[in-house]
Amino acid sequence: MKLALTGNPNSGKTTLFNAITGKIEKVGNWAGVTIDKKEADIKKSLNTTEGRIIAIDLPGAYSMSPFTSEESITRDFIKNENPDVIINIVDATNISRSLFFTTQLLELGIPMVVALNKSDLNKKKKTIINLEALSKELGCPVVETTSTEVTNNGLELLISKVLETKGTSQIPPFSSKNVDLKDKKSVEASDKERFVLVNKIVKSVENRRVSSNKQTKQDAADRILAHKWLGIPIFIMIMWMVFSISQTYVGPLVADVFVSLIDGFYVFVEGLLGNDVSPVLSSLLLDGIIGGVGAVVGFLPLIMVLFFLLALLEDCGYMARVAVVMDRFFKRVGLSGKSIIPMVIGTGCAIPGIMSTRTIKNERQRRTTAMLTPFMPCGAKLPVIALFAGVFFNDAAWVGTTMYFLAILIIIIGALIVVTITGERNARSYFIMELPEYKFPSLKRAAMSMFSRAKAFIIKASTIILLCNAVIQIMQSFDWKFQVVAEGAQNSSILASIASPFAIILIPLGFGAWQLAAAAITGFIAKENVVGTLAVVYSITNFIDTEELTLVAGGSDVASIMGLTSAAALAYLVFNLFTPPCFAAIGAMNAEMENKVWLWSGIGFQLGMGYVAAFLTYQIGTLLTTKAVGTGFIPGFIAVVIMIGFVIFLMKKGDRKAKKKLAYSS
Amino acid sequence: MDHTMSSRGSVEVFTQRRESSGRILNLSQGNIDTEYIIQEIKTNDEDLRSFLFSLGCYEGEKITIISVLAENFVLSVKDARYSIDRDLAEAIRVI
Repeated sequence: MKLALTGNPNSGKTTLFNAITGKIEKVGNWAGVTIDKKEADIKKSLNTTEGRIIAIDLPGAYSMSPFTSEESITRDFIKNENPDVIINIVDATNISRSLFFTTQLLELGIPMVVALNKSDLNKKKKTIINLEALSKELGCPVVETTSTEVTNNGLELLISKVLETKGTSQIPPFSSKNVDLKDKKSVEASDKERFVLVNKIVKSVENRRVSSNKQTKQDAADRILAHKWLGIPIFIMIMWMVFSISQTYVGPLVADVFVSLIDGFYVFVEGLLGNDVSPVLSSLLLDGIIGGVGAVVGFLPLIMVLFFLLALLEDCGYMARVAVVMDRFFKRVGLSGKSIIPMVIGTGCAIPGIMSTRTIKNERQRRTTAMLTPFMPCGAKLPVIALFAGVFFNDAAWVGTTMYFLAILIIIIGALIVVTITGERNARSYFIMELPEYKFPSLKRAAMSMFSRAKAFIIKASTIILLCNAVIQIMQSFDWKFQVVAEGAQNSSILASIASPFAIILIPLGFGAWQLAAAAITGFIAKENVVGTLAVVYSITNFIDTEELTLVAGGSDVASIMGLTSAAALAYLVFNLFTPPCFAAIGAMNAEMENKVWLWSGIGFQLGMGYVAAFLTYQIGTLLTTKAVGTGFIPGFIAVVIMIGFVIFLMKKGDRKAKKKLAYSS
Repeated sequence: MDHTMSSRGSVEVFTQRRESSGRILNLSQGNIDTEYIIQEIKTNDEDLRSFLFSLGCYEGEKITIISVLAENFVLSVKDARYSIDRDLAEAIRVI
């Protein structure tokens, strides 16, 4: 049996879906979190029948009017997939808006049950809804639910009503059968009548104690949190707290435990192997696999805590207010405040960040945001930042912070470039965002999000990263004749010969060594690989010193092994952070862009930006520290000038387009 | 017509409501805590118009300004709060 869950955005659909299926799909307290449809079986405890009941969570929709360009997933799904029963999740605190969609759904001829969700909030506000009267008016069963509660949440009653309703039919309270769907005027007129009916129903079943248009404590809180000048420092402070808790306080404490475990495992395996095993095999196992993967896994606790805190942030409803605060600034570069949300999510992982750009209606803004979100350093890039900060800059805090600010700068520049090239500098775009009620974030949900992320990470580490490290280890141990490479002759290995051509391009950036080129390339598979590959290629077995809790054992040794100056090291870090993201994130970009030109331009932009930023970092850094330019200055300079020149050419072309558009519209 | 935060410093629930003056104006010129009736949505963007409609923002419906923050206007429409920018506020004509 197939159940379709649908309703307004932010009505609690996904929470209800999670509650009846036992899944932990992504939830956030801002409208538009669910993007694609998700399917799962209902929990055994709720399924009293013999067969399977499949629930499908659809993205939110406000209506099924034919002229809205979004919400077609819901319309098409219901038309094509023929669910047995529809569960319409209605936000009980706002039935005057929600019932519009409800009455449209009732016309589809598919049996329906209304789940009046967030009924706990109504109790708090002392709003009373007469369930029987509402059920009579709509012609379908209405069940009160509170999907955030574990028990006493109305879900059993909901499912039993669903089973009762299966196969029955209902008479919709409003019928638009005689409306010509192609004629805008008559659709509008019919919709207005529909609202008149909805208003009538609401008046007769709902009893509010406090009128909605009165000021509340939440409005007062909004005035501070979304304040014209205070809003920004508050946001910066909150993000800073998120990062320092995960990276400086709680994270490393837990990491300590992990790393001791990994060290112990290394010694154990070493003991097992004994002295008779071939050195190739032992180094493959110990340094390649345990060392390489271990270097990365040690960072897992930091990332877990980060995800926990980000989940809390998303759940409480603050993110919508951040969008309001940032709108003013994003407008200047052709975006809207909504673009900040994917970027904040991107500090955890770029993939959900890119997917959340779906809520941005304007195509250009959505694609631009999808392209720029990966510039925010994600969780996978944290080990890279930590490694370089630790080895070359004595764990200085300014390294990490600078990278984030640099990311913001690049995003601003990128947005400006895109809006100029597309000729939409003068285009008008309206910003409207629903402000959901603040709520205390669910610790349980944040913990579940954290563990699901950890699980995904461990799977990734034990498959992709492990494989990469093993392959890299093999490629650097053997030459093309499949003979073991001698101690000092690593340059004849397979890896060296493949990576060296790339290394030449990187000379003007200060890190033209094949080892570094190889690490950067593996970074496209997973950014954590940069650390893993470096560990393998330079035979560094342990990046985290458990006794002193410093991030690198023998930092200066590592520095001299890599042979990089501080300027070059910083440039290498910048390069890895601001080039295209891992393939999985590029896949997400592809799904959102829906356009090959945009996709390849985006990747091209990311490549170019990484190169230019690294070039500038290295050359200017070297100039400042040694009063001379670094190696490969001239060829690098030429390359950079060509890239920038090309972009400026496109921008000028776009400017002319924009001026023409302005002339046409006036 | 003081929209700034300084005129609403306390955290209590207000019981008074201002009366609309009866002139037609756009929402960006409106007063806080005044209930207006929407007269017209001035835009060529049909998608926007339909979207606003499905939220309950259409001719004849009530709309109240709750706050003015950072060049955004917080509105109350049919029991929900929305934040809109100045451009959109100027496109909503009310009385």
